[in-house]
Amino acid sequence: MSYEMWAEKYRPKFLSQMVNQKDIVERLVSFAKSRNVPHCIFAGPPGTGKTTAALCLARDLYGDTYRENLMELNASDERGINVVRETVKTFARVRTLGEIPFKILILDEADNMTGDAQQALRRTMERYTGTCRIILIANYSGKIIEPIQSRCAPFRFSYLPREEQDTYLKHIAQNENAELLEDGLDAIYDVCRGDLRKAVNSLQAAASLGKPISSETVYSVVGRANPADVHAMIKIAMDGNFVEARKRLREMIMKYGVAGGDIIKQIHIELFRLDVPESWKVKLADVVGEVDFRLTEGADEEVQLSALLARLAEAGYELKGG
Amino acid sequence: MHAAWTVKYKPKSLTEVVGNRVAIGKFKEWLKSWEKGVPAQKAAFLHGPPGVGKTATVEALASDLGMEFIEKNASDYRTEEKIRQFAGLASQYGGFFGKKRIILLDEMDGIYGTVDRGAIPAITEIIKNTRCPIVLIANDFWNKKFIAFRNKKKYLVIEFKKPSAGEVLKHLRLICAKEDIASDEEAVRFIAQRSEGDIRSAVNDLQALGQGKRRLTYDEVSWLAYRDRKEVIFTVLRQVLYGKSCRAAKQTVGMVDVDLDMFFEWIYENAPYHFNIPGELANAMEALAMADLYRGRIRRTRNWKLMRYMIDFMTAGVAMARDKSKPTGWIPFRFPQRIRMLSTSRAERAKKREIGKKVKRRMHISVAVAQKDVLPYLKIIFENNLQMAAGLIDWFNFDQDEVSYIAGSKRQAKAILKSMELDAAA
Repeated sequence: MSYEMWAEKYRPKFLSQMVNQKDIVERLVSFAKSRNVPHCIFAGPPGTGKTTAALCLARDLYGDTYRENLMELNASDERGINVVRETVKTFARVRTLGEIPFKILILDEADNMTGDAQQALRRTMERYTGTCRIILIANYSGKIIEPIQSRCAPFRFSYLPREEQDTYLKHIAQNENAELLEDGLDAIYDVCRGDLRKAVNSLQAAASLGKPISSETVYSVVGRANPADVHAMIKIAMDGNFVEARKRLREMIMKYGVAGGDIIKQIHIELFRLDVPESWKVKLADVVGEVDFRLTEGADEEVQLSALLARLAEAGYELKGG
Repeated sequence: MHAAWTVKYKPKSLTEVVGNRVAIGKFKEWLKSWEKGVPAQKAAFLHGPPGVGKTATVEALASDLGMEFIEKNASDYRTEEKIRQFAGLASQYGGFFGKKRIILLDEMDGIYGTVDRGAIPAITEIIKNTRCPIVLIANDFWNKKFIAFRNKKKYLVIEFKKPSAGEVLKHLRLICAKEDIASDEEAVRFIAQRSEGDIRSAVNDLQALGQGKRRLTYDEVSWLAYRDRKEVIFTVLRQVLYGKSCRAAKQTVGMVDVDLDMFFEWIYENAPYHFNIPGELANAMEALAMADLYRGRIRRTRNWKLMRYMIDFMTAGVAMARDKSKPTGWIPFRFPQRIRMLSTSRAERAKKREIGKKVKRRMHISVAVAQKDVLPYLKIIFENNLQMAAGLIDWFNFDQDEVSYIAGSKRQAKAILKSMELDAAA
């Protein structure tokens, strides 16, 4: 028996296999038919099919020769200006031999590109339009500079609706002979909310336990796979165990590489769900905002956030009546 | 409340004293010779480096022989009056209850030639007339001020040497056993070697690192290498965390000989353990956050004048956070864990990166996303499903090292690789 990552094994190969993002797929299919593709921006949250759509489009366009006509770059790994100057330019200016006169460059996680690199890309896009079309993929199109945005056809990807995620997961489970229970499906939706990559990875990890996939197995798998459990950290702090809360924070940052900004964002969300008097929430929001601002001033993530945790510990203590 | 281990595990009997068997034998013989009357050598001069057991030997032997033990140290025997008291004590052979008496003048190095002029002649005078054994202890026998004691007919001079690392090690192991600490051989050996024969400091180190722990690993002690013998980081930390005035807390910056960033880390690591009222802890952590904010501003603007505010907050700010809280008991200071994590996780990060690159090649995602969104799931699969793991190893082309990392243990990695072999055979 051969195993691979299911997220890859069940990734659609052609646009016709894509079950979701109907409107977008329709337009892409028409691009493929007319054999013309503009520069594009695919924007949207993770796991919604942006990269898949780009790959499918390339396959539909080029058929068997898609490998020669496609280049994938990930800006998070190669974010500097030199990549644009060298790699991108070299690829873009060389004319392809096939029927279709242009090649496709997929620039994934493009919101991670530096400003310089984006400026350089802008000229490259214009000069080599004849030989190369670029598909920029990003979570937030806002992080891409205006001049590039205005040269691209925008596509907004959104989270998969529940039914579509369910259908997809059931299909995989059936193929892999894994028993997926109804409450397991609920649990996956609860934690993945339409992020299909996460959903499929969770499904596979849960299936690896060799038991029917129930909500229990899903939660245990997801809990272990997501160390950035901000909710748990806040709870520990408010229960008075500051040292343990700081340890969790430290592991998130140092061991798992979670960005301080992401942790703050999460804390801010959690804050308003906390079981504290309403008026406190506003006061605590001020502390969170202050920390957020300090980070932009070059302060240390852990030190600032642990000061915040200490405040939460104090709040928890006072809530219990001192 | 915990006692200092140097006191708790001080030798009660001569057999418990570590090392220096020859010196101890000589000393014991001399002390016993007093039973047959006053010998020619009326005083013994024990000398040697600090912490090798000179005082401990005298105390243990006095206790073994049931003698009345009178100890005076540097501060006591400088004044005329105190010295006259000695003369009185030394003039009788025994105490009130017929117990034999031994007089110890410890820390003789503390006598200053010019300030305490007359002290040494007064002591030699007492020795001349003594009817009970007098023991003198100093580190540096060859100092000019002790020249009067170089007369071998009148004084028995015994040198104490540093015990070997092996002897220190034995002692540390004994303490670990009594404290119920399972310690890695490597960890205790490291402490023993670092002490360079100074048992007292070795025991202090062991307590600072090991107290309250069930287990002591090499990782946890290796940072001792950072610590200079002369460095006073623990004392200085205490002064910051328990300082009563801003001035006292701020002074520490000049006393400590690590750089300011490292000093900050020490305070930041330890503060939470020393404030037990949440409001005070929050204020202390906020003071540290302010110090850190100034540090960030200094880095960004290169305006080094701002340094003084960073110092204010990290020292005085922390000290003034304390209002009422007074943690009791011995709280060991901890080496900044962040620094340790940085150095130990470097290799781990490199490995994660390599794994991330292989995942990227297969899954159209960045290395960062691979590490964050795929690796955790791989770990779960590798821990639970040999067959699936085996297939994925092939698919991703992981090497043995990477398999070990993902599987979490060498054992599990072996099991997976074994199942691959079986698969291939079938």
